[in-house]
Formats: sequence, structure tokens, C-alpha cells
Amino acid sequence: MTPLVTLFNFLLIVVGGFSAGLLGSLTGLGGGTVLVPLLTIFYGIPIIYATGASLISTIATSAGSASAYVKERISNVKIGIGLEVATTAGAIIGSLLAVYVYDHRLQWIIYVLFGAVLLFSLYPTAQKGRHEIPPLKKPDWTTRIFQMTGVYYDAKLKKDVHYNGVKWWAGEIVMLFAGIISGLLGIGSGAMKVLGMDWAMNLPMKVTTTTSNFMVGITAATGSSIYWYAGYIQVFIAAATAIGVLAGSFVGTKILVRMSNKNIRWLFFAVLSFLGVEMLLKGLASNNSFVTSGTVRLALSALTSVILISCLFLVIRKQEAEDVKV
Amino acid sequence: MSKYEFNDILSVVLRLGVVISIILLATGVALIFMMHGADGYSIDQIASYGTGTGASSFSLNSSSLPLTGLLNGVIHLNGLYFISLGLWVLIFTPISIVLISLAEFAYLKNRLYVALSIIVLFDLFFAMLVVPIYFHV
Repeated sequence: MTPLVTLFNFLLIVVGGFSAGLLGSLTGLGGGTVLVPLLTIFYGIPIIYATGASLISTIATSAGSASAYVKERISNVKIGIGLEVATTAGAIIGSLLAVYVYDHRLQWIIYVLFGAVLLFSLYPTAQKGRHEIPPLKKPDWTTRIFQMTGVYYDAKLKKDVHYNGVKWWAGEIVMLFAGIISGLLGIGSGAMKVLGMDWAMNLPMKVTTTTSNFMVGITAATGSSIYWYAGYIQVFIAAATAIGVLAGSFVGTKILVRMSNKNIRWLFFAVLSFLGVEMLLKGLASNNSFVTSGTVRLALSALTSVILISCLFLVIRKQEAEDVKV
Repeated sequence: MSKYEFNDILSVVLRLGVVISIILLATGVALIFMMHGADGYSIDQIASYGTGTGASSFSLNSSSLPLTGLLNGVIHLNGLYFISLGLWVLIFTPISIVLISLAEFAYLKNRLYVALSIIVLFDLFFAMLVVPIYFHV
């Protein structure tokens, strides 16, 4: 290969990273979750290097966007650090599990798990914005001990929003799993973190998403250093994706603010579900237990994702209609 | 340190970490192309991710880039080590956030959160310093 071809390949990976960052920020799922399927399915990059590059890129995007949210005082740094106790521990467990899996050439497990996590993340992510501010719950004992009372200024509602976080322990349990998934699959697992803070701890959506954003970097840094020594980071790929994903998510955030038609998000969800199904099937195929023909698999993934997203669309539309009635 | 300053410092450190890292990464890639490789590896070898067989199954990854060579590599304008340094700056950015938070909690005499930040830092350094001991080499 001439250097020019290699340079072209480098730029091609940057473009892939850019698309992943863009799609990740427009859907709220994060760049890494889109990057890994993109690199493995369309670029033929081994999943071991795809996850390594993804984990590194996740730190870049997290730091980039958290910078703004921390400054605006929407992220709750205190709650974030407290929950990192579990995510960092989880990330160590997850990365070591990854080392075990790759040492035993069980790559198919990573594909299948990745597909499953991606598909399961779609539902809570698509619901986003449904309960912007949860009803103020009575503080429990953990609210007091872990000082989880907070306030932020909501620019859209033009008022201060007060909140009490509850059930700190429940949050920690979810975070442990989020950390394990992050270390194992090389993603930030932001969707799962949001789930923990939203469902378990009753925090407002804005606080939840921005705090998760801030936390993702710390979790990914834990996994990254283990990935580094294990040799899962191909620096050429990682450099390309870090630059690409960062740029993509930056542009994504700008577009998101201006995007007037929220229904367009469904198109992106369809793409994500396609990637999810394809990962799942690819994993099963490499284990020789399911359709091994590439073309048939792609068609099957496309079909399944269309059905899946249509169902999800209808379910969430119905929920929204009920919300309006109430 | 007031609450006001604390958030602003975090914000600046986060942004600075990303900017420095991206500059290092881009410089590293540019150096590799200008010098036709780095560290005795050709551009092809550096870019390869080993999906082929035989000679093309080779791939250069982080396990063959010792951190002890980092300083020396950067001084000698070795592109690979520029990228490595950029990636490590990225990894250290969130770590420095935890360190700054620890300082803030200590200043506010918030013992519980001092303890929690220390546990998080312990996890981070455990992953960086203790876990690798049990790897190959």
C-alpha cells in the first residue's frame, strides 16, 4: 500500500468515527455504542481493536461535553463521584472479563452481548424526555447521608428545579452493572447510567443525562488503562476515531438544539436497531449457530429492525397519548 | 475555593485535556506520514490491524508500546509515542477531575465524599498499576 492509500484509510476511519459521534449524540446513546458495530461490520476491524478505540473515544466525547454541563452547573458532580465507586469497580471486573473472553477466543460472546445491550438501550433512550422532571419524592435516609439534594436552573422552563436523590444503594447496584458492561464491551454505557439515576434515584432527566455524561469518562478511563496493557488499543485506529467521534458529537449537539422535527430521531433509532440486530446475528454466525451467509444476515437484520422500530414507535406514541390525557 | 470556582476549574481542565490530547494525536499521525513510519515500523505496519494471514496478520498495538519509552519517543519526534501520549493525556483527564474533586471535598471538610473520591482514585490506579502486573510480559 502506498502512504496515500493508508492516509485515505485513516481519513475513512475518521469519517466513520464522525458518523458514530453524530448518531450517538443525536440519539443520546453515545458515540462508542455506534462506533463498535460500525468498525466491525463495515470496516472489518477486529472487535478487540474496535472496542479499544471506542473506549478511548468515549473519554474524549465525555470530557468534551461534560465541560459545558459542569460549567452550567447542571451535572451533579457529587452524585457522580459517589456513583463512580461502583462504576470504576465494575469497569475493572468488566475489563478482566474481556481479557478472559479474548484470551479464549470467545469473540462471539462480545458480539451477542453488544447487540443485546444496544437493543435494550433503545427503549429507555427513545422514551427520553417523557418525564422531564419527576415528582419530588420524600427524601430517604440516603438523601441526607449522601447529600443528594440539589438544584439546577432549567433554561427551557425558566426556573430553578429542586430535587432529592433517593435510594443511593440502588443506584450503586445499577452502576456496578453499568461499569461491568463498559469494561466488557468498550462503551461508556451511558444509557444504563441514565436508567439507574432516573428509575432508581428519581433524579430529573437533565441532571441524569449530564451527570452520566460526566461519569462516563471516569468509567472509560478505568477500562482504558487495562485495555492498554492488554494490547487492545491499536493506536492508529484509536487516534482516528478519537478525533472523528469528538468532532461528530460536537456537531451532533449543535444540530440537536436546532432540530425542530423530533420524529426524525426515529430514523436514527432504526439505524441503531439495525446495527444491534446485525451484531447479534454476526456473533451467532461466528459461533456457527445461525445464518452464516453475510448477505442473508444483512437482509434479516434490516427486516427485523424495521419491525422492531415500528413496534417501539407505536408503543411510545401510545404512552405519549396517555400522558396527554392525564 | 467557592462552589463557583470549583465547577469552572473542572470545566477548564476537561476542555484543556481534550484539546491537548487531540493536538498530540494529530501531530503524531502527521509525524508518522512525514517520517514514513516510526520506531522502525513502516506506515503500513502501523496502520495494519492484522486481519490477513502471514505477514499481514501482524498488527502493532498498545502492548508493544511501553510507557517507559514515552518521553524518549516524544523527544525524538516519534509519531507513535506522540499518539500514545495523546491517548494517555485523555485517560488522565477524568482522573484529574476526581483529584480536583477530592481537593474540593477536603477543603469543604466533607469527610464522606473525601472517602468516596479516594475509593474511586484507588480503583483507577488499581486498574493502571496493579492489574497489568498479571498480564503476559
